[in-house]
Amino acid sequence: MIQAILVFNNHGKPRLVRFYQRFPEEIQQQIVRETFHLVLKRDDNICNFLEGGSLIGGSDYKLIYRHYATLYFVFCVDSSESELGILDLIQVFVETLDKCFENVCELDLIFHMDKVHYILQEVVMGGMVLETNMNEIVAQIEAQNRLEKSEDQVLA
Amino acid sequence: MLGYDISWAAFNIIEVMSASKFTFKRIGYLAASQSFHEGTDVIMLTTNQIRKDLSSPSQYDTGVALTGLSCFVTPDLARDLANDIMTLMSHTKPYIRKKAVLIMYKVFLKYPESLRPAFPRLKEKLEDPDPGVQSAAVNVICELARRNPKNYLSLAPLFFKLMTSSTNNWVLIKIIKLFGALTPLEPRLGKKLIEPLTNLIHSTSAMSLLYECVNTVIAVLISLSSGMPNHSASIQLCVQKLRILIEDSDQNLKYLGLLAMSKILKTHPKSVQSHKDLILQCLDDKDESIRLRALDLLYGMVSKKNLMEIVKKLMTHVDKAEGTTYRDELLTKIIDICSQSNYQYITNFEWYISILVELTRLEGTRHGHLIAAQMLDVAIRVKAIRKFAVSQMSALLDSAHLLASSTQRNGICEVLYAAAWICGEFSEHLQ
Repeated sequence: MIQAILVFNNHGKPRLVRFYQRFPEEIQQQIVRETFHLVLKRDDNICNFLEGGSLIGGSDYKLIYRHYATLYFVFCVDSSESELGILDLIQVFVETLDKCFENVCELDLIFHMDKVHYILQEVVMGGMVLETNMNEIVAQIEAQNRLEKSEDQVLA
Repeated sequence: MLGYDISWAAFNIIEVMSASKFTFKRIGYLAASQSFHEGTDVIMLTTNQIRKDLSSPSQYDTGVALTGLSCFVTPDLARDLANDIMTLMSHTKPYIRKKAVLIMYKVFLKYPESLRPAFPRLKEKLEDPDPGVQSAAVNVICELARRNPKNYLSLAPLFFKLMTSSTNNWVLIKIIKLFGALTPLEPRLGKKLIEPLTNLIHSTSAMSLLYECVNTVIAVLISLSSGMPNHSASIQLCVQKLRILIEDSDQNLKYLGLLAMSKILKTHPKSVQSHKDLILQCLDDKDESIRLRALDLLYGMVSKKNLMEIVKKLMTHVDKAEGTTYRDELLTKIIDICSQSNYQYITNFEWYISILVELTRLEGTRHGHLIAAQMLDVAIRVKAIRKFAVSQMSALLDSAHLLASSTQRNGICEVLYAAAWICGEFSEHLQ
């Protein structure tokens, strides 16, 4: 199961925070800060798996992260998930973002936070992987976008 | 997200959730999924709204309700909505079926009584024509089985069939991981698995699947009581594949390969022996996590002949090591390797004492007591060495004032204590 998905930039500012288990707000912020410090220390050519982070709970959890330009995508998962599989999933998520936003950059995540969440909702639901095929995900997102547009004929 | 509590807006969020336009409904559910939790008072007001959305003709309304619910389901909500979600598992659209199946896991967690009635339908979904729904069902059952493996042993044949027929890598990985968790309970299952897993190992090109297969084969072989001749072939195959992983330039594969090798090491140390050169190479890697894993493996690789060579290599690393945690780790490892199995591999104790003395000269070590304990142990038990030991210890005591500085004091103290004790106990050897 996936415990949390965090996206933050090189200065530690959170761009997407999704916890699949309830934590109070201060603890959430602490987790983001702690994860940022752990991940910042890692060089770019070493492996993408980290064990650690006491707050997010227990020795069963690993942090699997990828660094793209200015953003870190961090998935906190337990031992029931395949590490290489999750690495692939992060790649699928980022490619989907790229497809939906046309050459995605950090600004897209800042100004269209809701859209990013909707995309994530098609990939991971309730901490479990829902869909791994990028075309399927994009198709669902586009269908929902069309539905929104058709409702807002007046506002569009 | 930025850390500000928005629980004051809970009622307004519910109002937005009940909007008839999809756009607004979506936004409402998103806000709810980020902020609602079991302590939210007004959450019971959502029950009817969610029920309405779940039976809505528009699949996206239902979808958005299911997704939102998965984040804030409480025991009460689970109890009230379990039946509705169960009916949705047989919805005509696979999109909804997929989501309904996945959310059942969360419902089970919060309201365990719903598992019994829902289980037959969940089992049906394992054979659903849509691959997405099938994979969701596999996901849920694997999670349930990890929590409580005994109850799901009966499903093993069904999963076996799925494993041999499915081509979806994610599904295969989940099933194989599940078998890895089940084999300790049912050794016969393990025996049946070896062949299909070996086939998969030979045929797959996906590294993730290969790694999981190897991992499970290792788990199976560990659980089987004694190694039968054909099993050594499987071990050799695993070790060979792991070698390929470790030799890969991708750091992640190296890390995982070393991780799996250390599991094999515990039960089949001889198979790992032949790859000593590769492991020693990994010690030189830039990545600290890989170095630590390689260190763990060295344990099983030492023999009388190569001990001195390995320790010499480790000592050069100790000199080069930057951070003190890594250095301490190296130190503990050197001592562990040398002292394992009652000093089985040491042929020359004089050499060992000189190594210990050299280790003492390290700055800022936290393991002074380890070095001290070792010195005492060797000096007491190896009679022949006492003369040499005493001469070394007295040299150490003489130069102690040169070595001691504020950082070293912690480590050095213990060793000086040991040195003094040895000199006192075996004073007949003192010049």
